[in-house]
Order: sequence, then C-alpha cells, then structure tokens
Amino acid sequence: MNRFVAADPGKCIGCRTCEIACAMAHRPDGSTEALAPTNFEPRIRVIKTATVSTAVMCHHCEDAPCLNACPEGAIVYRADSVQVDQSRCVGCKNCVMACPFGVMEVITVPAVKSIAGIQVSAGVKARAHKCDLCIDRAAGQACVGACPTNALRLVDEASLQQSLAELRERTAIAAIAV
Amino acid sequence: MEKHMSVCPYCGTGCKFNLLVENEKVVGVEPLNGITNEGRLCLKGLYGYDFVNDTKILTPRLLHPMYRRSRDADFERISWDEAIKIAATKFSEIKSKYGPDAIMTTGSSRGCGNETNFVMQKFARAVIGTNNVDNCARVCHAPSVAGLAQTLGNGAMSNSIQEIGETDCLLIFGYNVADSHPVIARRVIEAKEKGAKVIVCDPRKIETARLADLYLPLKNGSNMALVNAFANVLITENLYDKSYVANHTEGFEEYKAIVSKYTPEYVADITGLDPDDIREAMRIYAAAPSATILWGMGVTQWTMGVDVVKGLSGLALLTGNLGRPHVGVGPVRGQNNVQGSCDLGVLPNVFPGYQPVTDAAIRAKFAKRWGVASLPDKVGAMVTDVPHLVEHGKLKGYYIMGEDPAQTDPDLTAVRKSLAGMEFVIVQDIFMTKTAMLADLVLPATSWGEHEGVFTAADRTFQRFYQAVPPKGECKHDWEIIAEIATAMGYPMHYQNTQEIWDELRELAPKFYGATYEKMEGLGYVQWPCYEVEDAHGAKYLYHGNKFERPSGKGLLYACEWHPPMDQTDSDFPMILCTVREVGHYSCRSMTGNCSALQTLADEPGFVTMNPKDAKRLGIKDRELVHVSSRRGKIITRAQITERTNEGAVYMTYQWWIGACNELTGENFDPTSKTPEYKYSAVKVEPIADQLWAENHVQQEYASLKGKLRGAVENTAAMKVAEVA
Repeated sequence: MNRFVAADPGKCIGCRTCEIACAMAHRPDGSTEALAPTNFEPRIRVIKTATVSTAVMCHHCEDAPCLNACPEGAIVYRADSVQVDQSRCVGCKNCVMACPFGVMEVITVPAVKSIAGIQVSAGVKARAHKCDLCIDRAAGQACVGACPTNALRLVDEASLQQSLAELRERTAIAAIAV
Repeated sequence: MEKHMSVCPYCGTGCKFNLLVENEKVVGVEPLNGITNEGRLCLKGLYGYDFVNDTKILTPRLLHPMYRRSRDADFERISWDEAIKIAATKFSEIKSKYGPDAIMTTGSSRGCGNETNFVMQKFARAVIGTNNVDNCARVCHAPSVAGLAQTLGNGAMSNSIQEIGETDCLLIFGYNVADSHPVIARRVIEAKEKGAKVIVCDPRKIETARLADLYLPLKNGSNMALVNAFANVLITENLYDKSYVANHTEGFEEYKAIVSKYTPEYVADITGLDPDDIREAMRIYAAAPSATILWGMGVTQWTMGVDVVKGLSGLALLTGNLGRPHVGVGPVRGQNNVQGSCDLGVLPNVFPGYQPVTDAAIRAKFAKRWGVASLPDKVGAMVTDVPHLVEHGKLKGYYIMGEDPAQTDPDLTAVRKSLAGMEFVIVQDIFMTKTAMLADLVLPATSWGEHEGVFTAADRTFQRFYQAVPPKGECKHDWEIIAEIATAMGYPMHYQNTQEIWDELRELAPKFYGATYEKMEGLGYVQWPCYEVEDAHGAKYLYHGNKFERPSGKGLLYACEWHPPMDQTDSDFPMILCTVREVGHYSCRSMTGNCSALQTLADEPGFVTMNPKDAKRLGIKDRELVHVSSRRGKIITRAQITERTNEGAVYMTYQWWIGACNELTGENFDPTSKTPEYKYSAVKVEPIADQLWAENHVQQEYASLKGKLRGAVENTAAMKVAEVA
C-alpha cells in the first residue's frame, strides 16, 4: 500500500508551519535564507473555510489518476508512494487536470546545461510538483515533524491496519450496547 | 556546528530550543524538551531566527551609535563615548531644568531579558529619580495585572501552561490562542482529546471557535454584559459553590445585587447571544470537576478591560476554580518577556517583585541597597500618558528601549506629535524602526542570540537563555549602555555580567529569591513565587489553600455596569475595526519582517478581513486593495473576505507599515490601566476603482519607507565617527 500524510482538521490551527517546513525541506541548502514569495512552493497547503482548517496534500493513490494520465511515464510508484521522475516531465499538465484533489501543480524552474564544464542557462524546466513524502530526507516527513499541534501523521499499511482494527473493535462493542 | 540553548524570543509560551550556529551565524533551530513546549515549536520558533543575522529584508540592524544635531538634520555616526556623553548631558539638563518627572523611560518586553529591565527601572528610580518607567504591557495585559491584583492579589496567570492540557473545562474568552500561542493551542487540543469541554467567546470565528463544544459569538464591545450574565446564571441557578464563596470570598451581596439585572434575556440584545447558550455555557463551566478561564487581548484592550478581568476572576471564585491543580485564571501573555518586564518593576507603581513604590519601608530597602538618600514615592507616568503629558509640557525627555510606539501605539499621528514635542529622545534598539527615525540619539543594542539572561514565560516560569553568536558591529548589551549613561550622570553603576544583576534582584525581591541561576541552568526552570532556594521549581499554581494575596486573605467578587465602547459608529464611519494579530508575524514586525520564511508568508500592506455580506454591499472583491479610514486617519490595505469575520466588523493586524491600523485607532483608555480600546474603532471601508494605481502606490510607499530606514543606517556606516561638540 502507498503511504500518505493525513491531516486531522480537529487538530489543525491553520498556522502554516507545515508549508514552511515543506518548502525548507525541498531547498537544496536547507536554509531559510533564499526563501522568498517568488520561490515559495510548498507541496502541502493549508486551507481555511468558514468551518474547516486543514492541510491538503498528495494522497499517493493506489491507482493514481496523475500517473495514468502522464504521457511521458514521468510519474511512477516507488518506495510505497507516487513519485515524479522530473527528467521526463514535459509540463503538459495532464496530471494537474487528472488529480481529483487539486494537489498536483506544474511549476517551472530555471534550467541550466553544462557545456564543457560551464553552466549555461537553458530556458526553463517544467516540474510536476507534489508531495514526495520527503523520501530523501533522513528525518522523515518535514511537515509531520514540524506541526505544533500534531495534526499531521504518516499513514502506512501497518498504522492503517491498526486503526481499522480499533475501529472494528469499537463497532463490535457498540453492537453489544444496542 | 555549535549548539546554544535559548528560549524563543516571540510569544510568552517560553519554548526552549537550541540555536544552531555555523561561522558565527545562526543557521537553524532544534526544539528541546522545555517545561512549557515539550519538544514542540511553531513557525516563528522554527523559522524565525535569521533576523539576528541582519538579513536587511525589512530594515537593517543598528550597528553603531547615531545622532542628529537637529531634528531636520540627517543622522551622523558618533562614537560610544560621544553617545554616552550626549545622553548623560541631555538627561542631566532636562532633570535640572524641569525636574526628574520630565523624563520618561521604557523597559522592553522583548529579547533583552529580565536583567536589562531591572537595570532600566533602577536607572529611572535611582539615577533620574522618577517612577516614569513602563513597558508595553500597558497596551496589552495591564488590565489583567491591575484587575487580578485587586480581586485575587496577584496579576499573573494563576495556573501553568502544562495544566491547560489537564483541565476538564476551558472557558476561552477574547483569546485567539491559535494565532497568539500555537504551542499553547496544542494544550487546548490535548485537553479536548482527553474529554475537556471547550467554550469559546469571541465575535470572530477563530480556530478555537471552530473546535469548541460551545461557541458564543458575542457582539464586539459586549464583554462586561456577558460576564455579568454568566455570574447571574451561576447565582440564579444555584450553580455556585456556596461554601467556597462563604469561606474564601468577600463582596458577594453587592456583587449579587449588580449582576441580578443581567439575566441572559436582558443581555440578549447587547450581546446578540441566545440566552440558552449563555446558560448552557455556565452549566458546563460549573459542572466541570476542574475548569480554567483563559483570556487575551479581546478582554483587555477595552475601556472596560480591568472591569471584565475582575468579572472573569469572579466566575472562578464563585465556582471554587482556584487554588488547586488544573483550574484557575489565565491571562496568557503575548510577548516573550512581558511577564518579565512587569516582574522586574518596569511599571510606574511597583519595584521589582511587585513591591509598591508608595510603601515607605520598601522604598527604604531599595534606597539602602542602591546607595541613594531616597527614592521617588509618587506613582509614575504610563506610556499611554505620554502624548497628553507632552502636550501639557510635563515630559521633555524620552528613553525608549526595544519598543516601537510609532507602530504599535494607538493613534500614530498623536504618537508622532508627542515624539516631536520632546526635547530629547533616545531610541535603543536592535533595528532601525519607524520610532528610531524620530529619535535624536539612536543606540545599537545586542540582539537576542547575542546576549544571555532570564526570561519569564506567561505562566511565571523563569528560564535562562544563552549567547549564541558574538555582537554585531559596535552593539553593546542594553544593561551595559544604561549603566554607562548612569555612570556618566554621576551614579557609578557597574555589573560584570547578568548573574550579578540577577542576584541583586533576588536579594531585593523575596518572591524571586529562590530562583538562582544554578537552578535555571540548561533546561532548568523556576516558577515564581519561589521564596526559598530549597524550593526546587516554585509555584505551579497560585493561591494554595485558597489564600489570596489581599489584606483579608479572601478573593473579591466584583461586578459593575456594562457601558458601550467609546468610539461610536455612525453613518460616516459605520463599521467596527478591531485590531488583532496573525500567527506568522510578531509585534511591530522588526524581527519577523527580517526573517525570510515568515516574511514570505505575509507582506505589505497586510489585510483587512471582512464578511462576504459587507464586501458585497460595498462592492469589494477578495484581495482587492481598499481604503480604510477613521476619524483619525486613512490607510490602504488589502481585503480578505471570509465568513469567519462577523458582519459589521473588520479586523486588521497591527504590524504593517503601509496598512498601519494604528493610524486609525484612538486614544480611548481604560480609566485604571490606561490601556487603549484597540478592539473598537469606528471606520469606513471603501473600494478603490483604480487597482493598478493602488498596487503601484503600495509598492512605491513601501519601497520608499524601507529605503529611508535603510539609508539612515547605511549612509552613516560609511561615515567617519563625527566629533560632536
């Protein structure tokens, strides 16, 4: 089963700590310094309506519409998650249209080519941009670690099975009470 | 990589963390298991450290003393020797010409720490000879300090931050915990998960209102009516604890008589609430085995602030929710050391440790220790008194340390006028601010991160923070600068380090005597009162054995009649403006505005939030720039349309330069605490037809203001040290 980060609206206070944690975790230097409105691209977004505050991000679907829609085979299942092979992404936005949760974006970053050891600008490179579960980060998912109210958690097969088992047990006890 | 332990410089939660330092630069933060934060931090704690590094995103760090020869001249760079000489000479001149009470001083509730505040109030009292020393608690929780001191005898939170997670009922009144103290919000959520009932009283649908079991969206300005109705329900429904009231309180009959009129039906029109909801709230509160009241600026920033605080403490007294674990009254302090600056006597009526200046024996004790013949016996001026005292020729000199009144005080036109009306103004800060631009002498102090000391968290917890990086430029510690001015004025003042100052404080303030530096080492902490060194951690909660710190030993039940707010809406200014805060920015923004991550989340001109119905009626679309004006000023800001904002009211946060809501707020004060009625100003919101012009205008104004502040520092940096005659 693919893993995913789940948010609990009953604990979210809408503070956006997760957004900064995400943006920071995906900066090559891990520093806040270069962070600016123009390059602030968190893969998790806090949404506030009249009645709800919560974070939304990729569900890492089992039969992922984004993956199915990608003509380039740039979206793949890897490490129990849905990942993007950025080298293959052409920025066609099929994945953006296909995602039912609105959590896939296509962004562009400056592209550079290396010619005879010299870095030269090569226009822009498109990227399908979404939660990658921080798979390259030793400390795990940055948003989960940073949330001040513990509103975010990583759900994997084992933890899902455990909560399902608890729910079933509660259902059984409730049946006796009736 | 080096690690240096610190306490967060933002809100009053007192979160502990390590500052990560590389090559004398702060590069990150690592949460620690402090007593109040238990390993958690919010976005300001985690990503709000880079201001120390002088990022110059909003405004530059001050790196050398600056002086201007006349008000229309530019700043010049001067040497420390010159700066100290000028400060001492000017203050001595003013003192001899107009008397000591012509000089006003402020402590700072921010990163400078308790020791600096001790030295500042000592400077005011022993060197200048005035009790004119105050801090920004005046515009924030001063009503809590004054109100609780009268009813219970102690102005601080009676409970501890950890206890909030253990209580069975939380009555949250005018307190946006999610935006003000995210790490305390976690305690609220924890309490709720353990089964606590949460009642929220707030006109705006704040985060906790969304999570509450019962939400009372009262009308702006009806606090006293609701609190009286709460008391009425407790009494008429026999929900109060009769033996507690008989044994531990006084004033019940008078109290009962005043609140008898305030039935839930009587206040229905005033508060806009369903009488049944008011009853239900008190049934829940009274039934809980342990119940805690928390409040914030929504209670204090009113002309009835002190009265409502007293009223809220009455609810706790009526139900016996004091003097035992997991109950109590919690005015949760906003700035990281605003509790500390009050503790350290940066108030015009008390010495450190809440010892009255009007008590001759106390004055004699301090005078003896400080080696002066006498100390002033008259209660001094408050910061919000400054504009009218200047107008009446009573104040001539102002020493502002680590505060930015030209951004944070009400009616900025009046603030600027009062600064212009002073003969001599010193601003001692870490950043060039709007206030520093109006000063005669600007003194650069070391930032949090560049010095050590003790902070007091909102729940009376003393914790030590350590130096992580060396001072920038020519910056000196605040307490060193004050001591040098004192010495130049003929009062030799020398301290080797902060511990020496702290130990002088402990000797003079019995409540703090047991809080030694040794006990507060590392993650150590002490909650005052702590009278004995043997008492490991001090008092987790106040009023043990239901002994209140009043002459009778009993708590006072107090109620008074509700009256409407001062600034009335009319056809010209039909809407209510309430000033609030947002989670990512802090105080005047000189710190958070210089942090890359925090400034990325929100920048000028800020927002005015409004209800979709009001927006539709006014023809305003979401994210459009609008004009907001009051009887005092007019500013431009951006509309944010949300159903969380109640109809008829708009909300603005107070840290923006362009969208500066304090150009609009007025000088209506609580009669006791002189706290401004920030929560209620009559305003008008108007759409702007030419949005392109408006967007350009905001950018130009912002760039020009930033350029002016930056220029003042950078132009002088290149200068040679001027010789000032």
